[in-house]
Amino acid sequence: MLLEVKDIHVHYGKIAALHGVSLEVDEGEIVTLIGANGAGKTTTLKTISGLRPLSRGKIMFDGADISRVAGHKRVLSGIGQAPEGRGIFPGMTVTENLMMGCYARKGDVSRDLAQVFELFPRLAERKDQAGGTMSGGEQQMLAIGRALMTNPRVLLLDEPSMGLAPKLIQQIFSIIQEINRRGTTVLLVEQNAQQALQVAHRAYVIETGEIVKSAEASALLDDPEVRAAYLGGGADRPVGGSEPEQAAGAPEEPRDG
Amino acid sequence: MSNSTGVSARGKGRAGFGSAFPVAYERARRRAGARRAPLNLLLLPLLYVTETFGAINETFHEWWIRQPGWSRWTVYILLIVGGVLLPSEQVASFMSPETDWATLLFFPIGGYVLLAIGLNVVVGQAGLLDLGYVAFFAIGGYTMAVFGTKYGWSFWEILLVGLVLSALSGVVLGAPTLRLRGDYLAIVTLGFGEIVRITANNTEYIGGPNGIGGIPHPPSLSEWAFPDAFPFNLVGLEGVQPLSYGTLSAHSYYYLMLATIVAVIIFAKRLERSRVGRAWAAVREDEDAAELMGVPTFKFKLAAFAIGAAIGGAVGVVYASQAISIIPNNFPFILSATILAAVVMGGSGNIPGVMVGAFLVAWIPERIRFFGEYRVLIFGAVLVALMVFRPEGILPSRQRKAELEEGTGGMGSMGAEVAGPTADAEAGR
Ligand SMILES: Nc1ncnc2c1ncn2[C@@H]1O[C@H](COP(=O)(O)OP(=O)(O)OP(=O)(O)O)[C@@H](O)[C@H]1O
Ligand SMILES: [Mg+2]
Repeated sequence: MLLEVKDIHVHYGKIAALHGVSLEVDEGEIVTLIGANGAGKTTTLKTISGLRPLSRGKIMFDGADISRVAGHKRVLSGIGQAPEGRGIFPGMTVTENLMMGCYARKGDVSRDLAQVFELFPRLAERKDQAGGTMSGGEQQMLAIGRALMTNPRVLLLDEPSMGLAPKLIQQIFSIIQEINRRGTTVLLVEQNAQQALQVAHRAYVIETGEIVKSAEASALLDDPEVRAAYLGGGADRPVGGSEPEQAAGAPEEPRDG
Repeated sequence: MSNSTGVSARGKGRAGFGSAFPVAYERARRRAGARRAPLNLLLLPLLYVTETFGAINETFHEWWIRQPGWSRWTVYILLIVGGVLLPSEQVASFMSPETDWATLLFFPIGGYVLLAIGLNVVVGQAGLLDLGYVAFFAIGGYTMAVFGTKYGWSFWEILLVGLVLSALSGVVLGAPTLRLRGDYLAIVTLGFGEIVRITANNTEYIGGPNGIGGIPHPPSLSEWAFPDAFPFNLVGLEGVQPLSYGTLSAHSYYYLMLATIVAVIIFAKRLERSRVGRAWAAVREDEDAAELMGVPTFKFKLAAFAIGAAIGGAVGVVYASQAISIIPNNFPFILSATILAAVVMGGSGNIPGVMVGAFLVAWIPERIRFFGEYRVLIFGAVLVALMVFRPEGILPSRQRKAELEEGTGGMGSMGAEVAGPTADAEAGR
C-alpha cells in the first residue's frame, strides 16, 4: 500500500470532524472519496497532507508512519495536493506559481515544467499572467499543475470540478486520467460523484466523518443507496437541469485507462 | 499584467515621464468622479497627488527594469548623495521652518523610515500583522541605555548586542504566537508591545517611569569636516563634522541613521530576491498552499519576526545614543500604529513605498504645526481619505496590488486565511 489512513480522528476545537476514517490507496490507482457537504472530505485530505493535526489514528505513507511529520516535509516524500478552492498565489505569475511547486526540490525542473505546459497548453499561453486574474477553470489547471511540480507519488485533488462548466469538467477529468496513466497515484475528492466514479478504480463514501461504504467504483455506480444519495435517485431518471454535467459526461467517457 | 493600469503604464513608458502627469490627472478625476458633489472637489487635489506618485512610480518602474547595471548604480549613488546633502539650509527653509531640520531628519523622519523598513519585512513581506512593533524599538533603546550607563560599553558593541537581543525577543514573542493567524496574532503582538512598556515602567533597575538618563554618545570616528567647496558650500553644509558625535549638532546622528538605512535596505532587498523572499510571498498569499509546496511556513514566519525585530532594535540603539535619556513613554502603542500606518499608506511590501509613507507620517505633523491642536485631526483625516481612495498605498508593489484585487494577502495575514471555515463554507455553497 502506498498510502494508508488508519482510523484517524480529527478535531476542530472540541468538535470532531472525523471520527475513525480509514482508507487505502495503492500504487497506480485512482481512488475517489465522495460525500456530501461537510462530510469531512477536505479535512481528510488536509490531514493526509499535514495541514491538520490528528488526535488519534495513523497515516502510513510508503510503509512509514508520517502522522507527526510536518506538512512541508511530507511534500518531499511525495504527497502533493491541489487544495480546495485552488489556493493559487494570486500575486505571482503562472510560471512563478508553478515554480513554487518545486520550491523544496533540488536539481533541474525544466522537464517537469515542460510536461505541465504540455498537459495544460492554456497555462503555457498565459505564463506571465498573474494567478489571481486567471479564470476559475484556469486556476484549477494551475493548482493541479503546481501540485504536479512537486513531483508527487500520490496526488490529492480536492474537488477539481468545483464551479467549472461541463465541458471543462470533462477536460479536467480526462487530464486526471492522463496523469494517472503516466504513473501518478491519485486520491480524488469529489461531490460530482458520477464523474468521479467513472474515472476511479475504487471509491469510498464518507458521511459525517465516517467511511460508510467502500467498493469498486463501478459497483458504487450501480449501488441503489449511492445512486439515491449522490447520483440523484431513480435508475433511469437522470437528474434534472441542476446537474448538467451528468448528461454531458456519461456517454463518451471511457472507463479506466 | 493584463489589467488596464499595466497596459497604460507600458504605453507611457515609451512616451516618457512628462506624460505621467496628464495620465495622473485623468485617473484622479475618474476616482473622484465616482463620489458625490462636495466630496469629489475636496478629494481631487489629494487624489491628484497620489495618482501622480503612482504614475511616476509606474513609469519609473518600466524604465528601471530596462536599465543595465551601471545606470542603476548611478541612480543609487545619486540617491545616497541626495541623502547626504539633504540637511541643507535651502531644503530646511522649506521643509522645516520651525524646527531644526537635521534633528527632524534624524528622528522622527529617519527613525520612522527605518522602523517602517523593518516592519515592512514582517507585514509587507511575510504578511504578518504586528501591532506591537514598538516593543523592539524599546528593547533596542533600553539596551543602549543599560549597557551604556551601567557597563560603559561603547556604541558599536551595544549595537551588536541590541541586534541580538531584539532578534531574540522577536523569537520569544513569535515562537508561541505565530501559530495564531490574522487578528489573533495582531492582538497578541499588541499586548506584547504594552507589556514591554509597562514592564519598563515598573522595573526599578531601569529607572521605572523616569527611565534612564546620561546615555553616552557614540565615540567620534573622525573630526573630519565637509570642506568649504562644491557641493557642500552650495547647501550650507561646509564645516559640518559628519563623523563626530558631540551634542552640538544633529547632523552626524542623521548620517549615522542614513548609513544604517542604506545598509538595511541592501540587506532587505537581497532577502526579498532570495528564496527567503519567495517563501515569504507564498506565506503571505496563501499560507496553507505554501506549506503544501514544501515551504516550512512556521520557520519563515519566525525568521521574518526576528529580522523585523532586529531592525527595530537597531533603530532603538541609534535613537537612544542621541537622546541622552529615554523613558517608557517614548515607546507608546501609538508609535506602533503610526509605523503600521506608514507601511500600509506607503505601499506595503515595496521598500520605496514604505519609505515615502514613513517620511510623510513623520514630516506632515511637524510641517503643519501652525494648525496647533487641529493638526492631528487634519493628519488623521488625510490618512483616512488616502486609505479609502487609494487602498493599495501610494507606491504599491505590483504583486501586492494583484493580491489586493484578489482579496488575499491584503493586510497582514488576515486575508491569507483562505483555508479557514468561512472559505470552506462559501466554497460548499
Ligand atoms: N476550520 C474549521 N473550523 C471548524 N470547523 C471546521 C473547519 N473546517 C471544517 N470544519 C467542519 O468540519 C466538518 C468537515 O468539513 P470538511 O471541510 O472536511 O467537509 P467537506 O466534506 O470537504 O465538505 P465540502 O464538500 O462542502 O467541501 C464540517 O462540519 C465543517 O463545518
Ligand atoms: Mg471540502
